[in-house]
Amino acid sequence: MSYEMWAEKYRPKSLNDIINQKEIVERLSSFAKAKNVPHCIFAGPPGTGKTTAALCLARDLYGKGYREHMMELNASDERGIKIVRETVKTFARTRSIGEIPFKILILDEADNMTSDAQQALRRTMERFTETCRFIMIANYSGKIIEPLQSRCAPFRFSYMTKEDQDRYLRNIIEKENIKILDEGYDAIFEVSEGDLRKATNTIQAAASMGKVIDAETVYSVIGRANPEDVNTMIKTAMKGDFLEARKQLREMIMKYGVAGSDIVKQIHTAVFRSMLPDSWKVTLSEAIGEADFRMVQGADVEVQLSALLARMTEAGHELKRGG
Amino acid sequence: MSTTWTQKHKPQTLDEIVGNREAKHKLHSWLKSWSNGIPKKRAAFLHGTPGVGKTVTVETLAKELNMELVEKNASDYRTADAIKRFAGLASQYSTLFGGSRLILLDEVDGIAGREDRGGVRELTKVLKTARNPLILTANDAYNPRFSTIRKYCEIIEFKKPTIREGVSHLKRICTKEGIAADEEALKFIVERAGRDVRSAVNDLQALAQGKTRLAMEDVTWLAGRDRKEVIFNVMRTIMYSKDSWEAKKAVSSADVDPDMLFHWIYENTPYHITDPQDLVKAMYYLSLADIYRKRIRDTQYWTLLKYVIDFMSSGVAVSRQRTKSSGWIPFRFPEKIRMLSRTKGERALQKSMGMKIWKRCHISATRSTKEVMPYLKIIFENNPEMAAGLSNWLDLDEDMIEYLAGNKKRTKTILAKLE
Repeated sequence: MSYEMWAEKYRPKSLNDIINQKEIVERLSSFAKAKNVPHCIFAGPPGTGKTTAALCLARDLYGKGYREHMMELNASDERGIKIVRETVKTFARTRSIGEIPFKILILDEADNMTSDAQQALRRTMERFTETCRFIMIANYSGKIIEPLQSRCAPFRFSYMTKEDQDRYLRNIIEKENIKILDEGYDAIFEVSEGDLRKATNTIQAAASMGKVIDAETVYSVIGRANPEDVNTMIKTAMKGDFLEARKQLREMIMKYGVAGSDIVKQIHTAVFRSMLPDSWKVTLSEAIGEADFRMVQGADVEVQLSALLARMTEAGHELKRGG
Repeated sequence: MSTTWTQKHKPQTLDEIVGNREAKHKLHSWLKSWSNGIPKKRAAFLHGTPGVGKTVTVETLAKELNMELVEKNASDYRTADAIKRFAGLASQYSTLFGGSRLILLDEVDGIAGREDRGGVRELTKVLKTARNPLILTANDAYNPRFSTIRKYCEIIEFKKPTIREGVSHLKRICTKEGIAADEEALKFIVERAGRDVRSAVNDLQALAQGKTRLAMEDVTWLAGRDRKEVIFNVMRTIMYSKDSWEAKKAVSSADVDPDMLFHWIYENTPYHITDPQDLVKAMYYLSLADIYRKRIRDTQYWTLLKYVIDFMSSGVAVSRQRTKSSGWIPFRFPEKIRMLSRTKGERALQKSMGMKIWKRCHISATRSTKEVMPYLKIIFENNPEMAAGLSNWLDLDEDMIEYLAGNKKRTKTILAKLE
């Protein structure tokens, strides 16, 4: 008996297997054919195929032994300037043996790199272009410093359509021999919002329960897998329950290790989508920006964000009074 | 069982004594210099707050240098007469067996009280003529009554060990006693003992003797009686006085670690300042205090501490404008500190599991806690077979499996399938 995470088992192996991102795949295939790859930035939301595309490109380029010619680094776990200096340099400077003279370095979650580390990378990239090509993967290309952006070919990945996602999932369902209702597909798309990793994980967790997958199963998986919900916290604060909101914030940070930057980002989006009067949105935005900046500088995430929650509690209170 | 841990776990070598590297070195070289004849200063004067390791350093050094240690305590030199009585000892050359002798006058703070002003004069005589090394210890060497004595002594200051050094000392004891102790708990003990190692060891014994585990929950009550009173008084003043000066004074006069106090204030403010507008102000000031805490951490520029104190005391106090008092509300222990110790092991486990997931799933350990582990949990709770397969594939160890499975029974089932 062998089990893997289905997100890995069914990860496309070649660019030809990728079902979406047509234009991107076409261009990458042409790189593979020409056996030449520029430095690239793959930007886009999670679960849209960035890492997959990079891995596929490497495989199409080098064939079976592709792992010997590429290296995968993760900036979230090994961020900082030291990694760039040491690991990257050692890897980048040595010439690849074989037909293709350069290696590929995949730098995942590159937007989590400090700007110092990015600056250091810039020189490395230039010096070793002959022997190494970089693929930087990020959710937001805006967090990559300009000089790096200008050295890279940009690729913007977008969310999956429902048709594409369903097609991909249907293949898994058939191979794994599980039963799902149509409403199951709809529910998965609704909760995953085109994030294929999330969709695949959801379907595997739902399948582990051993029943026919209906909408309810999907919702219960998602409910259990995402207890940390920024929107719930905002609602709690706006309802006037600061203490409960702070408790939820704590759980998110301490128990689930959610990054302060992720929370603040979601708060920002939620506030602007909300029914709050515009004047309040702007007032809160100032507080959000300030909290964001302070956290970047290293202030305590919980203390700064709970000061922000207090502002939201106040906003909720004012609204209720019709202010 | 009846021995105190301060005795039982007394450092046996110089290295086992935490902190004060410089002082130990200085004392060591001064003692060594005696082998080249009597040095200019025939006595060393060790000073420092209680429990920083003055006496134990002398005892250990005597052992390492193979010297006979003659310890004299306060009653032996309180008066001029008493001093005369042992003066002879100091002036004799070497011991019966040819080794050299070291005389320790511990805790000389008590000397020359009202009883006999001649004490200091007599002691000075001894210092001038001693043929054996003499060591004095005191809490405060700069007391004016020691001004003459100081001239004849090598002054060596013993500083309080850092919290980390204190913790490492407690850790050594815990290892010997077979106690698994949380770092946070030990840190709490050391902090609350004011980095007095002796008193920290005593506290540790009181809390941990006979146990195999020591967690934050076990030590929090140490913030017991008088200490709790201090914190509660400060809190009451900040939350209810409205007087910014009074609040500030309460904080600066309280002998509590400002960082700890910050956590107390941050925890309790929303329970006591409930009006939304007041709360916004109070939390705003606390967030400013936090910024200055961070600046101090970065620059070690401790003079900034006064701003931390301003914001967390006066800042919070003046925020109370509209909140009506609503009877007695108890003060609560900072949840953050409690959670930090409780979730520490969990976070370490998540991290190492995250690295394993990263190897297989092309996702960072950080993101995997949120994007992979929750799904694994569901699978491990529902489907032992799939769980076993995944454990194998990810190369998870037993602790990780138990973490994902949520209980021992499921863990067993999964492990059985792994065979």
